[in-house]
Amino acid sequence: MAFSGNFLCTSFKKELMTGTHNFTSSGGNTFNIALYTNSASFNAATTAYTSSNEISGTNYSAKGAALNPVTPTTSGTTAFADFADEVFSNVTISSVRGGLIFNDSASGDPAVAVLDFGADKAASSGDFTIVFPTADASNAIIRIA
Amino acid sequence: MLTEPLGMSNNFSVSVKTTDNRGFTPEETAKRCVDKLIGISNNAHPAIRDQAHAYRNEMEKIIELYMKQAIKSDRTTVYNAIKDSGNPKLAEYIRRM
Repeated sequence: MAFSGNFLCTSFKKELMTGTHNFTSSGGNTFNIALYTNSASFNAATTAYTSSNEISGTNYSAKGAALNPVTPTTSGTTAFADFADEVFSNVTISSVRGGLIFNDSASGDPAVAVLDFGADKAASSGDFTIVFPTADASNAIIRIA
Repeated sequence: MLTEPLGMSNNFSVSVKTTDNRGFTPEETAKRCVDKLIGISNNAHPAIRDQAHAYRNEMEKIIELYMKQAIKSDRTTVYNAIKDSGNPKLAEYIRRM
């Protein structure tokens, strides 16, 4: 019952092949990031958003916040998609160990990726920012090489 | 024949930055912004790497400057909105921040 690393969910890989997800920044699906305590048990087998073990706190709502996707593109033979950094503003939250990115537009809120922050994080009457990797072929969060 | 399989990796890195009792400063935000805009390889030729670092530092200063101007400008907008809503003292407090 704990986070154990970053994962692209296996169900997400299958759903890419069935056209479930559209990462286009304008007109695409809405992808959310929800935040969880270390009691959550997420891994590659995670298939969908759950409210179980989701954090709560001032100015944080269930299902977290919508992300701003970077429209998928290619570099060389690698295709990639990414997200802009997400700021939860003026929040008081604690024991935040990780996050789950999921497709809020698709039926059943299917999971995309599990993010392990490596340690419990907190913000008190402050900003909580998730810094996504650079959107390139070597670092982007979703890469098909 | 050499073939390469399609692959997706779990090897990505996400970090978290937080503040307590304040928001991020223009300096902190500018650094995060320039990290997104300009990546410099440790393997680059030293002369090119040094030039890239100098360019990056300049960009960081420029981004920081314009962020401060944007904040001042937004504060003017907020000042006027609060003043127009009948709270001149609060508006003045915000203007002086």
